[in-house]
Amino acid sequence: MKTQKTILVVEDEKSLRDAIVNILRINNFLSLEAKNGREGVELALSKHPDLILLDLVMPEMDGMTALKKIREDEWGVRVPVIILTNLSATNEQLVEDMVTRKPMYYLIKSDWKLHDVVDKIEEILKIKN
Amino acid sequence: MKIKLLNNIVLVCLLIGMIGLVFIPSILLAQVGTVNGAKVDTSNAGLVVKVAPGELLPISVKLSNFGGNHRVDVLVEYAIFSSIEEKIYSTNETVAVETTNNFIKTIQIPFGTLGGIYIAKTSITYQGQLVPATTQFSFTVEKKIFGLFQSDFFLYGGITFLISIFMVFFGYTLIKRRRRTMRLVPVDYSDIPHNTRVFYELISDTIMGMRQQVGENALDIARQINGLVIDEKTGRVLELTEKPSKVIAELVSGYEKALGKKISFSFRN
Repeated sequence: MKTQKTILVVEDEKSLRDAIVNILRINNFLSLEAKNGREGVELALSKHPDLILLDLVMPEMDGMTALKKIREDEWGVRVPVIILTNLSATNEQLVEDMVTRKPMYYLIKSDWKLHDVVDKIEEILKIKN
Repeated sequence: MKIKLLNNIVLVCLLIGMIGLVFIPSILLAQVGTVNGAKVDTSNAGLVVKVAPGELLPISVKLSNFGGNHRVDVLVEYAIFSSIEEKIYSTNETVAVETTNNFIKTIQIPFGTLGGIYIAKTSITYQGQLVPATTQFSFTVEKKIFGLFQSDFFLYGGITFLISIFMVFFGYTLIKRRRRTMRLVPVDYSDIPHNTRVFYELISDTIMGMRQQVGENALDIARQINGLVIDEKTGRVLELTEKPSKVIAELVSGYEKALGKKISFSFRN
């Protein structure tokens, strides 16, 4: 019997966050929700989810800053992160941060359907047959 | 006078009896003749069913003298008839038959013989023969092309052509798939120092991903990026002479222009 994996969804847009949580639930994942980077860091470091789905452009604390803080933690160094954003990686600093903080994927929202994102999650967590 | 008449009646009866003896087996088996108490039978068989003009047609001939113990000289005639009973070839020879005589006779089919079905007939004639003894079999004359009969040539040629088409298509698909697979296999950069390796891998994987979408144009775009040196054919990153993050940002920008949309990345573990 497979144990349920927990996914932390850090996304400021409520409708998208709800949609992600919903499809995760359908695919037998537990989910945690954060509406900005600060909440995301707090939940990540306290709940230790199996994977983090992270938006970049958010109020209070952006996703890259949140990822930097998570990576500074001993647990957070290894947690797999998928960046799900609309931000194009044509900025030097963003690329530098991305390479340094090592997410598993940098996915453009408009290119990826939610079930494809779930596929990526399952691929990373190796729970797919 | 009465005695002579009686003798003639006996002779006629004897002849009728001999004819009966000969005639019944000729219906059941083959035409059989008798001479001096001897019965000579002939049977032949075609050893091939198809020959080309100018080729030799082998005929297996079996002569049996089962009517007597003495030798009989038999004239054997071989003839080939077309399907409209036109004789196109004939030859004969005399063969001595004591008990049995089996041999193979070869007949050359005349050059210029038209294609079609023909009949090879073997008939025997000998002294005192009462009924003709003839056997026959049919065979086909067909021209040859490159050593193959016309029909076989077209059959095997057709099959070979189809197999060739399949092989070419299969080979092309295999090569195409192999090229695609080669493009999908991440290039190994274990020889690059660890602190810059991730940039090499990211650029290389991005180029590889773009080749899947825009083809060889992906290499052209990469070649135009300042500070990025790649292998002309494989797209392998050979050298980064500018700041890696700047190279990646420019490469992504170039690809987004070519593709008309933003691009995603995956990172190696």
